[in-house]
Amino acid sequence: MKDTLIWIEVEGKKDKLLLKCFKLRIPVFETKEENGKLFFKIYEKDFGKIQKFWFVKVKKSGVTGIRLLKENIWKQRVFVVSLLFGFLLLYVLSHIMIRVEVVHSNSDIRELVRLTLKEKGIKENTFRKSYKEIETIKKEVLDLYPEQLEWMEIEVHGMNYVVRIEERKIEKEKTNQTSCHIVATKDAFVKEMIFSKGVASVSRNDSVKKGDILISGLIKKDEEIKAVVCAQGSVYGEVWYSITASVPLDYEVSTRTNKVRWNFRLKNLFFDDFLFRSRLSSYEEEKTKIFNIFGNELYFVKQFETQKEKKRYSEEEAKNLAISEAIHKLESTFDEKEYIISKKVLKNEINNSTMNVEIFVSVFENIGEVQEFEINSIE
Amino acid sequence: MHLYKTMKNFLFDQDYFIDVWDKCIHVYGFIDIDILEEKKICLVFESFKVCVFGNDFRVLKLTKKEILIEGILENIQVIR
Repeated sequence: MKDTLIWIEVEGKKDKLLLKCFKLRIPVFETKEENGKLFFKIYEKDFGKIQKFWFVKVKKSGVTGIRLLKENIWKQRVFVVSLLFGFLLLYVLSHIMIRVEVVHSNSDIRELVRLTLKEKGIKENTFRKSYKEIETIKKEVLDLYPEQLEWMEIEVHGMNYVVRIEERKIEKEKTNQTSCHIVATKDAFVKEMIFSKGVASVSRNDSVKKGDILISGLIKKDEEIKAVVCAQGSVYGEVWYSITASVPLDYEVSTRTNKVRWNFRLKNLFFDDFLFRSRLSSYEEEKTKIFNIFGNELYFVKQFETQKEKKRYSEEEAKNLAISEAIHKLESTFDEKEYIISKKVLKNEINNSTMNVEIFVSVFENIGEVQEFEINSIE
Repeated sequence: MHLYKTMKNFLFDQDYFIDVWDKCIHVYGFIDIDILEEKKICLVFESFKVCVFGNDFRVLKLTKKEILIEGILENIQVIR
């Protein structure tokens, strides 16, 4: 308190007061004249000494620094308290969740998830859980119902939790399929057969047509049916495809220049646009969420200017690209055991600035499919 | 505190100095004030005296070794 600076109002001989202050080593930090009155800024502890001078009249006129701040806050206490209360209310409202919405078509699953989440604390009129807590709860619920739930996501939309779930559909054991064959789905050369039930109707390197029985569910002896089973196993064969792919020769490459602009994006139910006009004609953007209050999402957006450049593939490049795209597309349907045995380009031609390629592909692929049959129909 | 002392030592490396600006005079290192008037201020140093002459002199700041004067400076006199 002894180092607090105060303003004093002085009436009388100011020069003499200054000299006296100097003699008594009383520092004067600032002087000013307002409306014909003189003010000195001094330490509060020196005020008593100055008061004793007979040639001047002094009185305190104000405080400075933290005391001034405290006094101002006290004067504006109603506003300050309202402001703090407002912030508190805003914080509370933006962190309270008033609804839990479980999105799924099955009402049993919805109810199951709703009750489980309620036990874990995700319920109406509670404070919003942190990201980490939500992740933990998600994992716990999935672990609790491994047979019912495949995947779950808990999203926070304003004051609502939106829970999206995917039901796990376990294929029921084919107990009722007492009689079935494994038949060919495509014309192929049989390359590999693995079966646990049934009788093989074909052997390795046999040529089969679509619909041919590969593993039979009828166990016969001397043309007499001894048993009927559901054939189980997998048959792999060499299958041939003729696939085509097209690649345009002209393409655009977008490169970033050094120009960066900042902007804000507001997103809610009625509005989704930048707050300031974008000054770049073409750009790529990276956005960071600043807050999400009552469904109003504000993003900080960095816009990187881009320049588009037109380029053209050479004939060889376009051909290779078309082949790799076609192969990639085919391979995306493969299971782990399937692969391409060989490939050959049958035709490649340029038409309307587009490279068209036709490829012949030989594939090692599962060709077996379970097909039920009725015993009566055989008899 | 060590940093403060080092900075102070760096900034106030002279026993005294007088800075003159457009409308201000800053004096450091005087030991006494001889005259303090609107048109004349005399400050006493260890081996000499400095008097500044002008108009509308007003002391803005005054501490043990330092004074900041506002006013229109016309003349400075050093008396040894």
